[in-house]
Amino acid sequence: MTVASVLAVIGVGALAGLDLVSVPQAMIGRPLVAGFLGGAVVGGPLAGLATGAVLELFAFETLPVGASRYPDWGPAAAAAGALAALRGGVWDPAWMAGIMVVALLAAWLGGLGLMLVRRLNAAQIRSREPALGRGDAGALAALVFGGIARDFVRAGILTGVTFAVGERVARHVAAGWRAPRELADVAVLGTALGVALLSAWRLFGQGAARRFLAVGTVAGVALAAGLLAW
Amino acid sequence: MKRPGAAPAVPAAPGFRTALARLFTIQAAFTYERMLGVGFAFAAEPLLRALRRGGPGGDGAFRAALARQSGFFNAHPYLAALAVGAVARAEADGAPPERIERLRAALVGPLGSLGDRLIWAGWLPACAAVALLMVAFGARAWAVVVFLALYNVVHVWLRVWGLRQGWRAGVGVAGALAAPGLQRSLELVAPVAAMLVGAALPALLGWYPFRVRWEVPVAAGAAVLFAAGVRLLQGRATGLVTAALALAVVVGVGVLW
Repeated sequence: MTVASVLAVIGVGALAGLDLVSVPQAMIGRPLVAGFLGGAVVGGPLAGLATGAVLELFAFETLPVGASRYPDWGPAAAAAGALAALRGGVWDPAWMAGIMVVALLAAWLGGLGLMLVRRLNAAQIRSREPALGRGDAGALAALVFGGIARDFVRAGILTGVTFAVGERVARHVAAGWRAPRELADVAVLGTALGVALLSAWRLFGQGAARRFLAVGTVAGVALAAGLLAW
Repeated sequence: MKRPGAAPAVPAAPGFRTALARLFTIQAAFTYERMLGVGFAFAAEPLLRALRRGGPGGDGAFRAALARQSGFFNAHPYLAALAVGAVARAEADGAPPERIERLRAALVGPLGSLGDRLIWAGWLPACAAVALLMVAFGARAWAVVVFLALYNVVHVWLRVWGLRQGWRAGVGVAGALAAPGLQRSLELVAPVAAMLVGAALPALLGWYPFRVRWEVPVAAGAAVLFAAGVRLLQGRATGLVTAALALAVVVGVGVLW
C-alpha cells in the first residue's frame, strides 16, 4: 500500500462526503458508488463494489431530509471498499465483519461531523452578517466556498481515520477469529438485509405501495432461487 | 418592440447557466438558522444582475434583492431551483419586497414535501434497487454506471426544469407544481420503487458469497428477526446503531470463541 494509494482513498472519500450535502448531490457518496471507487483506487473495484452493495442495504434507512441528522455513508464506504480490496480478492467473512463494524460507526460519526460543519458555517455567517445585509455578492461566495472547504476537510479526515482504524480492526478480527466463519457471513448480511427490510416496510408498507412491495418480494425470492440454482 | 407586460424570455447565458451551476452548491453553506438561504442567494445572484444593469433602482435594487434572498429558506435541494427562478423573476419584474417574501415562504412546504416524496422516498430507492439487482446478476461496474446515469438524468433535469419554469412563471409559480407530468410522476414513483426494492432485497441472498447453502435461509431468518427487533425499539435507536452494536457483539464472540 503506497502513500499515493492512501491519499487516493482519502481523496475519493472526501469527494464522496462532499457530495452528500455540499456539492453536487449526485449520489457519488452512496455506498455502492463510493465503495466501488474506494476499491478501484487500490486495485480491487469488485471487492469495493461488493462491500458497497452491503453498505447500500444499511443506507436504505437514510433519507437525507433537510435539517435532520443522517449518517454520511460516502467516506465510510470509500474506506471500507479500499479495505476490502486490500484482501486481494479473497472474500473473508471475518475481515468483512471487522470492516462493517468500523464503517457503520464511521457513517454515524460522519453525521455528527456534518453538524459540526453546520455550526462552523453558522459562525462564519454571523461574522459576515453586515455584509449579507448590504447584499454583498463576494460575502455570499466566500461563505459557500468556505462551507465546501470545511466539508471537504471533514470528509477527508473521516475517510483517513476510518481507513487507518478499519485496517487494524479488520486485521485483528481476521487473525483472531475462532468461531465458524459462517457466523460472520450470516451476521453481516442478516443485519444489512434486516435494516433494508424495515426501511422498505416503513417507506412502502402502507397504502397501494404495499401490494407492489409484496409482488416485488415474491419476484425477488424467485430471482434468488434462480441465482442459487444457477 | 416589446409588448408592455410581456414575459421576458429565459435569460441567455451566462446568467442562466451560472445560476444553474451554482444550484449544485445550494446546500454548501447550510446552517440551522438560515437553512439553504445563503446558497439560495448565491444561486440567484447571476439572475439578479439584470437589476444592476438598468432595472428599477440599479445597484441598490440588486443589493437589496440579494440581501432578501440570503434569509431563511428551506426546500428539497433539487426543487429549490423552481423557487430560485421564480423569486429572481419576481425581483426582475419589480414585485414588492413583501410579496416576494410571501412567495419564498409559501414555496418552502410544497417544494420540500414534493422533493422528499419524489426523490428521497421514490426515485433514489428505485435507482438503488436497480443497481443492487444488477450487482446480484453480475453486472459489476455497470451497476454503478447505470445507477449514476439513471439517477442523475432525473436529478439534473429537475434542476434545469425548475429554474426554467420558475423564471417563466415568476409569482405564478404554483401552477408549475400542478404540472400533469409532475403529478403523474408522483403517482408512479412509489409503486415502481416498492416493486424494485421488494425484488432487490431477497435477490441479494442469491448473490452473496456464502460458503455453504444453509447460510441462505439462516441469513434470511436473521434479517427478519433483526428487522423486527429494530422495530420493537420504536425509534430509540436507528437500524445503523443497532446493527453496529450487534455486529460488534458478533465480532467479540467470533474472536473469543
